[in-house]
Amino acid sequence: MTMIYSTNSFHKDRSRPLAARVAKVTIDLWLAATLVILTLAISSMRPQLLDVSNIAALLKTFSIMVTMVLGLTWVIAAGKIDVSFMQIAALSNMICASLAGYGWGWAILASLGVGLVVGLVNGWLVAFLRLPSLIVTISVAGICASAAAALGKGTVIRIADVGPVGWLLNTTLWGAVPVVAIPVLAVGALAWYMQERLAIGRYIYAMAQNEAAVRGVGVPVGRLTMLLFGLSGLSSAIAGVLLAANLSSGQPMIGGPYLINGLTVVLLGAMMVRIGKPNILGTMTATLFLGVLFSGAALLGLPDYQRQIIQGVLLALGLGVAAVASRHHGANKRGH
Amino acid sequence: MTQPVLTATGISKRFGPVLALRDVAFHVERGEIHALLGINGAGKSTFIKILSGMIQKDTGSIRIAGQEVDLRSPKDSIRAGIATVQQHPELVHDMNGLDNIFLGRESRRPGLFGRVDRKAMQSRAEALLARFSVPLDLAREVGSMAAVEREAVAILQALADDDIKVLILDEPTSTLTDVEREDLFELMNQLRAQGISIIYITHQLEEVFAIADSFSVFRGGTCVARMSVADAKASDVSLATMMLGEAIGDIFPPKADPDSAGEVVLKVSGLASASKFSGISFQARKNEILGIFGLVGSGCEELAKAIFGVEALDRGEIEVNGKAVAPKTPRDALDAGIFLVPGDRRTEGLALDRPAVFNVPMANLRRAAGGGWALRGRSVRADSKSLTEQVALHPPSLSTPASGFSGGNQQKIVLAKGLYTQADVYIFVEPTIGVDIGARAKIYGLMRELSETAAVIVISSDCDEVFGVADRTIAMHKGRQVEPGSGVFNRDALLFAGIMGERKQ
Amino acid sequence: MTVLKQLPKGAGRGVAFVVLVLALALAFALAEPRFLTHASLSGIARHMAANGLAALGLTFVVIVRKFDLSIAGVAAFTGMSMGAVIAAGYPLWLAIVVGIMLGAAIGGLSGFAISKAGFPDIVTTIAIGSVCAGMAFLYTGGRSIFQNFFQSGITDLNDARFLGISVSLWFLLLTYGIAWLVMHRTRTGLAFYATGENPTAAHFSGIATRKFIGSAYVICAIFTVLAVLLILAESGNAETNKGANLMMPAYAGVFLGAAIMGGTSVISTFAGILLITMLLDGFSLMGVPYYYSDGVVSLILLLGVIAFSDTIRTWAGGFKLFTSKTKRTGSVSGGQA
Repeated sequence: MTMIYSTNSFHKDRSRPLAARVAKVTIDLWLAATLVILTLAISSMRPQLLDVSNIAALLKTFSIMVTMVLGLTWVIAAGKIDVSFMQIAALSNMICASLAGYGWGWAILASLGVGLVVGLVNGWLVAFLRLPSLIVTISVAGICASAAAALGKGTVIRIADVGPVGWLLNTTLWGAVPVVAIPVLAVGALAWYMQERLAIGRYIYAMAQNEAAVRGVGVPVGRLTMLLFGLSGLSSAIAGVLLAANLSSGQPMIGGPYLINGLTVVLLGAMMVRIGKPNILGTMTATLFLGVLFSGAALLGLPDYQRQIIQGVLLALGLGVAAVASRHHGANKRGH
Repeated sequence: MTQPVLTATGISKRFGPVLALRDVAFHVERGEIHALLGINGAGKSTFIKILSGMIQKDTGSIRIAGQEVDLRSPKDSIRAGIATVQQHPELVHDMNGLDNIFLGRESRRPGLFGRVDRKAMQSRAEALLARFSVPLDLAREVGSMAAVEREAVAILQALADDDIKVLILDEPTSTLTDVEREDLFELMNQLRAQGISIIYITHQLEEVFAIADSFSVFRGGTCVARMSVADAKASDVSLATMMLGEAIGDIFPPKADPDSAGEVVLKVSGLASASKFSGISFQARKNEILGIFGLVGSGCEELAKAIFGVEALDRGEIEVNGKAVAPKTPRDALDAGIFLVPGDRRTEGLALDRPAVFNVPMANLRRAAGGGWALRGRSVRADSKSLTEQVALHPPSLSTPASGFSGGNQQKIVLAKGLYTQADVYIFVEPTIGVDIGARAKIYGLMRELSETAAVIVISSDCDEVFGVADRTIAMHKGRQVEPGSGVFNRDALLFAGIMGERKQ
Repeated sequence: MTVLKQLPKGAGRGVAFVVLVLALALAFALAEPRFLTHASLSGIARHMAANGLAALGLTFVVIVRKFDLSIAGVAAFTGMSMGAVIAAGYPLWLAIVVGIMLGAAIGGLSGFAISKAGFPDIVTTIAIGSVCAGMAFLYTGGRSIFQNFFQSGITDLNDARFLGISVSLWFLLLTYGIAWLVMHRTRTGLAFYATGENPTAAHFSGIATRKFIGSAYVICAIFTVLAVLLILAESGNAETNKGANLMMPAYAGVFLGAAIMGGTSVISTFAGILLITMLLDGFSLMGVPYYYSDGVVSLILLLGVIAFSDTIRTWAGGFKLFTSKTKRTGSVSGGQA
């Protein structure tokens, strides 16, 4: 017989030596370590970085950003792409602003409903009409952006009363933690649990590698794809509502910059924990990383466009690491 | 015998104007290995798709253990007890074997957010493995597994559902080496012993006698014969004749006259590449076919790719027609007059969405442009037409996408593409994987024809193929070249050399 | 008869396209009589020139089965760079040369990263586009550049006419003609298509696939520079957002054209961009607000892609013998990271 007989070798994690496990954790969490170093470095130059009020502001943008890209993380993890998320947020933002006067309950319901439906439509077109996800979401992004602008006839809609959502954003615990951070972290933790412990997490990553295999064992891949795009639409719509309350207005052009921001955090996040694969913990760490970096850059007086350049370079660097990592991985595979 | 585990009667299926299946009657007994034979287009894959729920029959009935079943989806088939392992099993390569087996059937803790219970899955896997004692390390990533191990994972995945009565294996051996094939047969024997029936599809007729209890032959959309292997052995029928419907001669063309071997075209000496192979030296002449036999992993495919400039070569010299060449890319090799008919024609040989007229000129755009820059559309079309006629492409269409042809005819398009380059050396790697018997004979015949004007080298892990088509053979074993016996041309010596890596005494 | 003949039933699709154009023209002419005036038509011609050049560049990238999302960023940066050169008092031709060189360098960088280093195309071009968009602010911090524009003669590119037709349209027709000859009548074109269809098989056929993928990005960036040049010429100044409106029409033109004509080609892109420009100009003539334009283009693109998708054709057209189950090599959806 040519094969090696061993039925119980899948208990490999138990038998791995401690040193190797420590090394693995270090590699897994290097981005978090870099975040700590970056924070220390900037705060040594600009101590204001760690002021209570700055931390509160940081955590607020962190919460909005994480909400924006939570769904996107899984869409990219499943091997698809969604470039409509930021415009769904813009549309939800405008819907929320135009309806806020009639009561926040309705405004939120309508915004999230539209976000979810648009996401599901994306998913349906990709899953059941087999259209390329980039083309579908580029078009849907254009339509959403137009609709957002049309709602305000091309201008901003002011909101008089930011309501309960404003309370979530502007009330802080101990002066440093906005209330909104708590549900966002809770949802993040739940998503992490789903991704790591539930079958759906396995399907998402398996889909990216071989969709036919997942389809072949009877997993409803089409419905799963719809669900992922739906979640992406929903989560960015929530971010749109948060933005409306945060800015006390609906801003039709708010989506644009979030495309690069969102993709950067998701792909930078893919550099940790599950190397080369977007994941929730990575996305959250990368969001905090980018938040600290930008806050530090602002404190150091760098203009806006320089931050944009830094971000693009970071994204390219992240890609470089991913490309090298995957090649290394590939080489290992070919070794057999 | 008791009632058959699976009975199909009166199955017909029409695709538009084409009647793909016509009144098929078919049955499989409990706990038997039943081979399903037929050339491409005979209807066997349509029939299998009906059994596995991928397409629906127009008429007829299917009974499992006497109960009529309605197979509207793959799920229905699995529920009815029919599991199918595709020819190229779809597995998730960066997951381990265990996770692949239970993909979509994970054990879960109770509750709404019941997490995946790895322990339960491990014990399920242990139970499965204990039942069949499959030698398999399930903690390894599937991407790093050998072909037979993947096949085993795919079979275990199919059997992970309870109460599977019939297992369909679609050409499982096409990518396996001889040794691996034995491992697979071992597993199949165990399944049979458990009372599971296996429908086994293969192009390799000798496998029918090696493993099957009985067989059915499909021809022209219907089942023309069902026989037990014992009867077939006793009556000395020809399976090939039954499949083709007419008597055929030897599928291999006549050997060349040993004295007529022409001038040396390709000469390689001392070729070596990293850990893949070393010390390879041989010559290939006109008017003879050189065969190289080696199992998967013996380095012979890598050797072909290195000569063709796809993979790196560390040491050694290559001469074509007396001129030293050092191909670093396929372009260099083609310029030197070497053409490779690659082992994986779907990814390495063809633009599948494009017709023959696009594929044929691809490897010699200079000729397509008449030496200039502008394409000579009319001459490309005329050349493609005459070359596809020469290789007997069927159907003889220049505008059908390559994906619309059978495996054998796809290989013929690759061959036409090679002929268009007018190379001096043709290297064939695994030329007849997934090719039915009719097309195989044609392809071997073309090799013989080619050898009149060029050196032809056939590299294969199928010993009988190398022995049957080649005039002179060498073997490769673990990257080393082995000369099978001194001047004696004999199949067993070749097999021994390729598998054991030494000369048979 | 051509080797690269996309479809045996190409004629039918061509007729369908002409009917579509005529129907559209008729509808607009009925809704707004000014649509068929000389001023309106020459406006369409000018807009088509800028959109058409960007779309033609993108066509090369799409033929090798990749995407380029850096068009807007490249347009912004090279537009501002050309503006800066003109404002500094240098002649127009030097500005154009600088712009083309910068474009080629950026396209070369994307092409190298994607073809040689194996970076994923979508995200790489987004990153590079983002850096370029940031660098567009380097010259003036974001203020408009207009000095010397009228003296430099750049506006002549917009105003000059030849045989009653603006030179920009002549230029467009010329580039499309050359591109058509190269892509559909030479072995270079065949190699581009082979690379896109199956890069491995193309490599095994002795085609330098990486070279073709890399040059597709260079070509795309250079055409983007030419497109933004026409936009600068029309507006008489350079601003950081000048290229922002190039991307959507380019994508819509390429993919709508491909959907209608049954495959990506120079002709299909021409067809797509003609339809898109007619729509955009027609709507703006009818007084539809500016913020609808992207939405309209997007909607048309989406509807076009849906209407001509294989699935819909199968549903509508009933039955296809042996539905092909082949997996597309190199998924267009773009598996990331």
